[in-house]
Amino acid sequence: MEIKIQNLTKVFTNKKMTETVAVDHLDVTIPSGKLIGLLGPSGCGKSTTLYMISGLLKPTDGKIFFGDEDVTNVPPEDRGIGLVFQNYALYPHMTVQQNILFPLENLKVPRPEAMERAQKIADLVGIGELMNRKPVQLSGGQQQRVAIARALVKEPRVLLLDEPLSNLDARLRLQTREEIRRIQRETGITTIFVTHDQEEAMSISDEIILMDFGVMKQKGAPQEVYDNPTNLFSARFLGTPPINIFNGEISAGKIKLGKSNLGTTDVKSQNVVIGIRPEGFKVDPKGPLKVEVEFVETIGRDTTLLIIDPTDPTKRFRGIIDADYKVVAGDTIQLSVKPHKMFIFDPETGEKL
Amino acid sequence: MLEDKSNIKAWLYLAPALILLTIFIFYPIINALFLVILSDYNYLQGTWQGFTLTDNFVYVFRNQNFIQALTNTMLITFVSVPVSVTLSLFVSVWLNSVAKSKGFFQTIFFLPYVTNAIAIGMAFAFLFNRNFGLINTILGWVGLNPVNWVGLGATWGNAMFSLLVYVVWGSLAFKIMVFLSGLQNIDKQYYDAARVDSTKKGRIFRRITVPLLSPMIFYITITSFIGAFKAYTEVIGMFGERLGPPGNDKALITVVALVYDALDRSGVPGALSEAAATAIVLFAITLIFTLINTRISKNRVHYAGGAK
Amino acid sequence: MAAQVQNLYGNEKQLRRQFILRQTYVFTMLIIFSIIVIIPFYWMILTAFKTEAQVFTSPPILWLTELNFSNFGAAMNAAPFLRYMGNTVVVSFFSTIGTVITTIFAAFAFARLNFTGRDAIFMLLISTMMIPGEIFVITNFLTVVEFGWIKDQTYTTALLAMTIPFMTSIFYIFFLRQSFRQIPNELYYAAKVDGTSDFKYLRRVMIPIAMPTIITITILNAMGTWNAYIWPRLVTQRQEFGLVSNGLRNAFNDLAGVVAYNEQMAAALLVTFPLLVVFLLLKKYIIRGVSRSGIKG
Repeated sequence: MEIKIQNLTKVFTNKKMTETVAVDHLDVTIPSGKLIGLLGPSGCGKSTTLYMISGLLKPTDGKIFFGDEDVTNVPPEDRGIGLVFQNYALYPHMTVQQNILFPLENLKVPRPEAMERAQKIADLVGIGELMNRKPVQLSGGQQQRVAIARALVKEPRVLLLDEPLSNLDARLRLQTREEIRRIQRETGITTIFVTHDQEEAMSISDEIILMDFGVMKQKGAPQEVYDNPTNLFSARFLGTPPINIFNGEISAGKIKLGKSNLGTTDVKSQNVVIGIRPEGFKVDPKGPLKVEVEFVETIGRDTTLLIIDPTDPTKRFRGIIDADYKVVAGDTIQLSVKPHKMFIFDPETGEKL
Repeated sequence: MLEDKSNIKAWLYLAPALILLTIFIFYPIINALFLVILSDYNYLQGTWQGFTLTDNFVYVFRNQNFIQALTNTMLITFVSVPVSVTLSLFVSVWLNSVAKSKGFFQTIFFLPYVTNAIAIGMAFAFLFNRNFGLINTILGWVGLNPVNWVGLGATWGNAMFSLLVYVVWGSLAFKIMVFLSGLQNIDKQYYDAARVDSTKKGRIFRRITVPLLSPMIFYITITSFIGAFKAYTEVIGMFGERLGPPGNDKALITVVALVYDALDRSGVPGALSEAAATAIVLFAITLIFTLINTRISKNRVHYAGGAK
Repeated sequence: MAAQVQNLYGNEKQLRRQFILRQTYVFTMLIIFSIIVIIPFYWMILTAFKTEAQVFTSPPILWLTELNFSNFGAAMNAAPFLRYMGNTVVVSFFSTIGTVITTIFAAFAFARLNFTGRDAIFMLLISTMMIPGEIFVITNFLTVVEFGWIKDQTYTTALLAMTIPFMTSIFYIFFLRQSFRQIPNELYYAAKVDGTSDFKYLRRVMIPIAMPTIITITILNAMGTWNAYIWPRLVTQRQEFGLVSNGLRNAFNDLAGVVAYNEQMAAALLVTFPLLVVFLLLKKYIIRGVSRSGIKG
């Protein structure tokens, strides 16, 4: 089921009649059968967007299509969606089985068929053995699976997940995200999954949609967005450790950071923001950047360097280099920059130049 | 959808409660305000002689029993509330600190809450019986002479003392349970911290327990005041409709009793208005003391943390 | 400093002794207090089983070696207590059912539904909680007269007069609303996505989750009826329509002369006994409910 969002806008008005634009003229198409990560910092409008797709919130403006069907004014129960909440929202007084059966009751599915479907979906998510437990008797990860099973049992056209992993501890989170990936592949349901964790989104999404202040900043396959951020926000939001940001300038086709010449470009001469990924540095005796290393941390095959910014000695930036280079704190080294790991942005608009 | 107002549906759900509340709460409030401004309202004939702002209140104050009723009500309130709040605070702290049999004691202390006020009032009356009661027997053990607490010709003071014992006894259960649940909500780490600092037990009680429990103490004090101002059934339980020991009728009359007294005379012109005026006076007293209470405790109640 | 450290961690024996001393003190205080609480009950039960001669013995007999059951029969003869109890059970049953239903619906509307004036109406209800009931009683008495429930009273109209005015309670609405509001919103959203109607959500999710509170309300309301005295006295036109408190008071509202204390206490015990049994059976709900009902917010 392809989901088309046109000009979607949500304005909240509080009691004092102040308006907050949560989602601002969002236009996006979500391809059928894919797992899409809706990613952004908290308050960026991603959950609001999800709730509007679910029908729980009514858009102030704009339209939502499921395939060719305009569902903008269709109530949530008629949209054929499954929704999983951050806190799972399991009915505490019902067993796992009763929880999973609950949506089918509303659809008036005959009891034997409902039981069969519940068991099948429980087996799919790996909780087939726990049908008679109450939610409190389950671990966080198991509760999460019950919530997914309950959302999937009615065979929705779209599966929506609101921060589904944020209540789990680190290990379970890794495990569960693989699990979500697997379930999505096996069912082939178009899935939208909201998160503020870029690593989580990048690891399992077919595509990510990056949002900030209610506006879509970039959309694409995770690696593609990482490799080609179209704006400063995208560049900064993706990647750990985060991208290094410098104030530089373009002068006669040269990218200059302080006095160092980092490369060439056809952008016209102006002040710019230069973003360089930590892995974009290379130790190179002929490199243009002469810097002092303050701190060295070697983990496995990589060495992370905390380097004093040559243009501003109060600032530090990070570089990740091959562990083969032996560098110790206090060393002065020469660095060159990999051109495809360096991006130039307009300091005013943040757009990539 | 979620933000949509479901007005019609909501009113349907509210309707049963709202209809009843309108008839039996809201309308009576307005009607009481109306009754109190009618002059010589004759309920049987539905007639009255014009309007008045003060007359009905004057009747209340001129009622020969009013001063007695007000004195009794105030005395009951200002003795029973502080005594029962303090006592129940201590008992609940003991109860909370006892290592074993907590449930057993809790059950016993709760018993006074689940009794019939009339039945247990009668039991108290007999406890205080001059010749055959337990109280005088106990006094005898320590060499004191028997006192005529509630019998024929008992003094107002003796009867009032007996009544107060009953009122305090009856009001402890609820407070103990509420304080206990408040104490159980206090984070143990405050006590651990205090112990590490070698704080003495009495100091822990004054400086940690009471402040952390203060929102609850405040709430209980306010509701107890409101409740105690309405004392009446306790008097009936111990002394019957006579409202005092035999030979000293109405010695323990209370403000609420005056309302029902007037209501019992509902056929007499002006009686209903007097009842309404009395009830309004009672409300005014309650309101004033609630406000004073709120004012006093404003600086002493600690809302942050502690008792959740 | 060293002494303090030792006091805290070092001398275990001393700590242990302190603990035992303190527990003994607390235990003693609690036992003394328990005796004070128990005495009126003991006195009631003791007297109920005494013969008339034993009652009027001075100093009083504090322990019976032989129980005398005849007082209960005598009390039953003095007044129809079974009838009063029956009336109380019936009134209690109907007013409680009515209260629970109206309370659940109203609390649901306040806790879950979104409608114009919700907060204003709720504040209005809360603000009436401080007004003494006597203000309502005056007009309510006139109202039940107006409804024809007083004149030529039949058992039915007497029951109507005793139950209808008490079929809802602002305090219980407030109390249940608090419980309802603790249910996470997401449960409601999840139910909405699955096409659950509001009524079904109330029935299948909110009521079961808030059941402990609803049980508490049921018990408190029923116990309230068992204690009711003033209103039934006001609206019942015939003694046999009265409730237990009225029956008890009327039967022993002597004006002069000697009270048959043994019969009076037997009657009091008859009236108290069912309450005590209910309490001991439902102790858990009652204690928890009452404790929580005193916690604001």
